[in-house]
Amino acid sequence: MNQMFSNIFNWVNHRLPIVNTFERHLSKHPVPKKVNFWYLFGALASVVLIIQIVSGIWLIMPYENTEEGAFASVEYIMRDVDYGWVIRYMHTTGASLFFAVVYLHMFRGLLYGSYQKPRELVWIFGCTIYLAMMAEGFLGYVLPYGQMSYWGAQVIISLFGAIPYVGESLELWVRGDYYISGITVSRFFALHVVALPLVLIALVFLHLVALHEVGAGNPEGVDIEAHLDDDGIPLDSVPFFPYKVLNALVGIGVFMTVFAIIMFFFPEGGGYFIEMANFEEANPLVTPEHIAPVWYYAPYYTMLRAIPDPLGGLIVMGSAVAIFFVVPWLDRSNVASIRYKGIYSKIALALFAISFITLGYLGTVGVTEVRKIMSLICTILYFAFFLLMPFYTKFETTKTVPDRL
Amino acid sequence: MQEKDKTRRKVLIGLTSAVGLSGIPFAATPFIAAWNPSAKAKASGASVKVDVSKIRYGQQIQVAWRKQPVFIVRHTEESLSGLAESLPKLADPNSDSIDEPYKNLSPTRSQSNEYSVLTGVCTHLGCSPKYYPEVEPKAWDASWSGGFFCPCHGSMFDLVGRVYKGVPAPTNLIVPPHFFDGDILTIGEDNGVA
Amino acid sequence: MNTPNLLSLNLLKILSLFVLVLFTGSISAAEGGPCKDYGDCDDFNYSLNDTESLQRGAAVFLNYCYGCHSLQYSRWNRVAKDLNIPEELFAENLIFDSSVRPGDLMKGSMDKKASSEWFGVAPPDLTLVTRSKGDDWVYTYLRAYYEDSSKQYGVNNLVYPGTAMPNVLAGLQGNQKLVCKNTPVLGKNGGEKRNENGDTITKEKCGYLKVADGEGSLSQTEFDSLIYDITNFLVYVGEPAKAERERIGWYVIFFFVIFTTLASLLYREYQKDYH
Repeated sequence: MNQMFSNIFNWVNHRLPIVNTFERHLSKHPVPKKVNFWYLFGALASVVLIIQIVSGIWLIMPYENTEEGAFASVEYIMRDVDYGWVIRYMHTTGASLFFAVVYLHMFRGLLYGSYQKPRELVWIFGCTIYLAMMAEGFLGYVLPYGQMSYWGAQVIISLFGAIPYVGESLELWVRGDYYISGITVSRFFALHVVALPLVLIALVFLHLVALHEVGAGNPEGVDIEAHLDDDGIPLDSVPFFPYKVLNALVGIGVFMTVFAIIMFFFPEGGGYFIEMANFEEANPLVTPEHIAPVWYYAPYYTMLRAIPDPLGGLIVMGSAVAIFFVVPWLDRSNVASIRYKGIYSKIALALFAISFITLGYLGTVGVTEVRKIMSLICTILYFAFFLLMPFYTKFETTKTVPDRL
Repeated sequence: MQEKDKTRRKVLIGLTSAVGLSGIPFAATPFIAAWNPSAKAKASGASVKVDVSKIRYGQQIQVAWRKQPVFIVRHTEESLSGLAESLPKLADPNSDSIDEPYKNLSPTRSQSNEYSVLTGVCTHLGCSPKYYPEVEPKAWDASWSGGFFCPCHGSMFDLVGRVYKGVPAPTNLIVPPHFFDGDILTIGEDNGVA
Repeated sequence: MNTPNLLSLNLLKILSLFVLVLFTGSISAAEGGPCKDYGDCDDFNYSLNDTESLQRGAAVFLNYCYGCHSLQYSRWNRVAKDLNIPEELFAENLIFDSSVRPGDLMKGSMDKKASSEWFGVAPPDLTLVTRSKGDDWVYTYLRAYYEDSSKQYGVNNLVYPGTAMPNVLAGLQGNQKLVCKNTPVLGKNGGEKRNENGDTITKEKCGYLKVADGEGSLSQTEFDSLIYDITNFLVYVGEPAKAERERIGWYVIFFFVIFTTLASLLYREYQKDYH
């Protein structure tokens, strides 16, 4: 029996590089031997991606992608489908935690200079994934067709209208109708369920291939490839299996505990994960008192609201996301990790983090005079972090990075 | 590595794997359960209640159950005693070749001596047979003693849904699970008699 | 780890203070909030394990509210099952339409077109009202009606000014009125101000709700308890799986805590290899 399996396996392996690929990219793949918890968020992001895909597939089955049926079908899932509510909450919790994990993952990049040479392309693929995620999240939120689905879609689609010359026709073209309707819902459904997930999976694949080509970084910013053993394996590395797998397992355990706490006890996230207004069916004749996006878009929503001109707001908002792409070229420091960078980088990163969080908060509350000023200040701080980076990274005093981990 | 460490590792691997794997069936449960008939399916597939007291003698009415027509026929004593006449023409007078739920309870084939409850789906290709209770010669049978005639391919059944010999339909009309509670007939479930 | 220098420390302190002020200073002014003229909504704590409360709430809802408001995503037999009411008893006492089958949705008894003509707007479906407006809101709204001769039905509501809904429960509560009270004037330190004789200075403040005792068939406490039951029932209807969800949640979290502990021990064991 064993001989037969062994023969079949070898026949396949001779024609499809199973063992080789598995060893190179999983079991024996060398990773830096000393990283901290910030390095777990990539693995967690892939776990959430899988959760979203599986729960998403199961949601498609009972969901009706029509104007008349969408809202009712979500309640059907919550009540009439056995354990439908588990699958629904899994998907909504996953969506919010996907962004939480990715934001932390991106922050790790900023902390330890993960975008620096030779990892610029890994970073760029990552930024593209973030962009795709933002689109995916927006499209998905429209599908339950509640008040916030409708009016949020209204706001975002009208942004297209701000573009000069082509704006209005573009708006009409995106909607497929003169107002948001079932036509819009069903096309958003196709994009959310098929198009963007395929794009995301392809991008994640490219992200990982690019990463494996150059190897993972570490919190010290040490180049582990500089010191190899006789077999060409970096001295300061350990094989992925079992060491990193076990590390990831702990991270996954903690993450799933948080996931479960939210999913089973606070699925609405206090109104930040599933907004209260979305428990009312979409009504084109009644605008909700506060139109707020879900929390993970809030920082950019604040920027949009801070600029009075619609086109200006769109440009600022777009630039805020776009600027992430060029960070590898803005950072002119000779060290990668914040541990060895100078005082200016540390202050800049701290201010960036504070302003990002504040922008996020401001996006979820109503506008007042004080808040308008805060929004502008925080937007300026946000952009200052990036635009001044070429200067403060170049001219600050850095510390010497050790040779070995 | 010391022996103690090796054992410790083995134990930890075993425990962690056991706990981890034990979670899988629980995690799979919602996804598998979600495929069960939902409350909506159960509601539309639920039993149908009919008040049969209003049916005239010799009349047939039709109700829907699980998207199928169900015939309810109220027999007269005359028509029931006339059943014997069509016996030689029948292919399966005792409903031996099918799963007959209330076999030998009553000549009506149902749980009542007065009413027949039959699924109105021809056992040939699924058309709905028509009710012809009059005992008179018909185009499809010169000695017709009342029953059902299927217009699609000419299958014939007697007044209690038993199939004729030599017609395309192979078996008798199916009797659905049902029970009577006074004048109320419930189609879709029975009270455990079957 | 390096310690930032004094300048950056102070900078961070100032910025954090700013942010703190922002967060705390933003607690919305009472009258701009969801409960409008009432102020802050009264606190409501659901208790979905209190089956009797849910049963009372269901009974009151079906008797007083279901005539106009549908619960279109809820099914009759699900409510009966979750509230531990035998189906026949439920059908006999609480389903007033004989054509209704137990598995049907609670689609309501009022024609939407007709009702929008009568009331100006069709009485909304209430299946999800506690999720879209909040259970605090519902609880406060139902107790905030007061006499107002300028309105169509002679009543207005502090929580939803200008509501098109009449005060259906007036017979139970009695006629609530807006009254003025002499309230103590408070000083800057929160203490009551007094005049030269030592008596408390009072000022007339209006906008308080008051029901005269004995006007309605229920006392104030009884009425509040009734509204509690209705709201509790509506919380249940808003999400029937809520009680089960919270029950299962404990087990899931427990599982992951155990798993994480074991995984952590295992990880540390292997870390010995390279530390």
